[in-house]
Amino acid sequence: MTSGRPGAPAAVTGTVAEVVEGVFATVAEVRDAALAPTARDGLRAGRPVLGDDVRDLLHRPGQLAVGLGLVVAPRPERGLPLRLEWWQVDPDGGRLRTLEPDLRPTSLGYYDYTAAEWFDVPRRTGRRHVVGPYVDVHGTGRYLLTLTEPVVVDGEFVGVAGADVSVRRFESHLLRRVDRSAPFLLLNGEDRVVLSTSPRELVGALVSPAEVAAGPAADVPGVPWRLVPVDDRSALTA
Amino acid sequence: MQLLSGDARRAVFAPLDDGALRSEAVVRRVGSAIALGLLGDGEQLPAETELATMLNVSTMTLREALAELRGLGLVETRRGRGGGSFVQARDDVLGELADARLAELATTDLRELGDAHGAVASAAARLAASRASRVEIARLRDIVDRLARADSVTGQRRAEGRYYVELAACAQSVRLTMQEMDLHLELGQLPWPPAHAPALLERIVAAHRAVVEAIEVRDPAAARTLTEEHIEARTVWSIELRLRAGGEAVARREVS
Repeated sequence: MTSGRPGAPAAVTGTVAEVVEGVFATVAEVRDAALAPTARDGLRAGRPVLGDDVRDLLHRPGQLAVGLGLVVAPRPERGLPLRLEWWQVDPDGGRLRTLEPDLRPTSLGYYDYTAAEWFDVPRRTGRRHVVGPYVDVHGTGRYLLTLTEPVVVDGEFVGVAGADVSVRRFESHLLRRVDRSAPFLLLNGEDRVVLSTSPRELVGALVSPAEVAAGPAADVPGVPWRLVPVDDRSALTA
Repeated sequence: MQLLSGDARRAVFAPLDDGALRSEAVVRRVGSAIALGLLGDGEQLPAETELATMLNVSTMTLREALAELRGLGLVETRRGRGGGSFVQARDDVLGELADARLAELATTDLRELGDAHGAVASAAARLAASRASRVEIARLRDIVDRLARADSVTGQRRAEGRYYVELAACAQSVRLTMQEMDLHLELGQLPWPPAHAPALLERIVAAHRAVVEAIEVRDPAAARTLTEEHIEARTVWSIELRLRAGGEAVARREVS
């Protein structure tokens, strides 16, 4: 086990926090854009809440998010069905597309978002949330981190505002910016690898507590993530 | 019509590469999409030219396919304003279509399909045992419960399709998830075994429960083996159905 340069973990957690807060700032802009019209007119079936300017956030320089929008809490008793106002950047090219997932419960491809963690946790806790890496099955079909916060109008939860960051984009963005001299793992709240600078630890894997108990962890401010040092043996020369 | 962009839709309208028997391939694809609920009852299909482009077939081929689907009663075409082709989900027709498809296939085709599904699903189960979160495991369990409760063939098919797709998602793999979706569009063209032998539903449910247990206790080898063994049994079931049907139902076409 090599120990990193003093201060290295703090620098990394700081960079990670900065990147995450940057995406949450975008989420807050989406939320604000949703709040005003919702507070004024309420939610009405078939009437979009977000203006076209919101999707332009995806084209803002330095934007890490590949998708964003509003996901509405259904209220069948008021005639409000499942609904998303979500845009995403085409993986091959910069074109924006509206996400139109299958919202019919009788379909094999039903996008049951009210059960998804990114929707359910902000609804239950009233707080912002980050989930992933996960496969957004039946939705975008991509491998993502999703950041959401609740949209609450007059004390009522009306949905979540959110942004998707593709795991590959998150990785390449951070690998360019952090000090990799001492290998580390970035773990989420369920001990899943979000980012790894060790070839032996794969992104998406769950790490057992015994594996990471060895080194001191450094928490990432603002999200339930932490950085842990790992063994840096090469797999190529072993 | 508004085209859905979910991953399942991508699979339904992906270009066909079957080569020969193109219009039949379109009929089968649409049939299984209806069986799996990916195309809903009353839903409008994309316009002919659009659909032909998506599926990579000529307009002529597509028209032949739509004519056959109309003949089967799975699609209704309305003329005039607001017209177009609309889906009619009919379980009896889907069952007949599946039996006819089975009769066209050789036992080696069924073995190949089972081998491919076994490879994908057992790899997914093994990875899921080390990568699935508690929440995901609970969701798998919930899907299997739904499968056990589903009282229609289509309901059972859809629940089972969701089980395998979710399993692949639990493996944290986009590629395995996509492959599982594609495989289900093919599997959805074949008879659902419990439709012929209802007691098999219990065995399917028990097999999936055993896999979820193995995932829960973090036993990748068991999750993989159980998945593999179950899919091997499924291959045997469909081959038996094929051989049994061989004498009665005359294949509509020679196997190409």
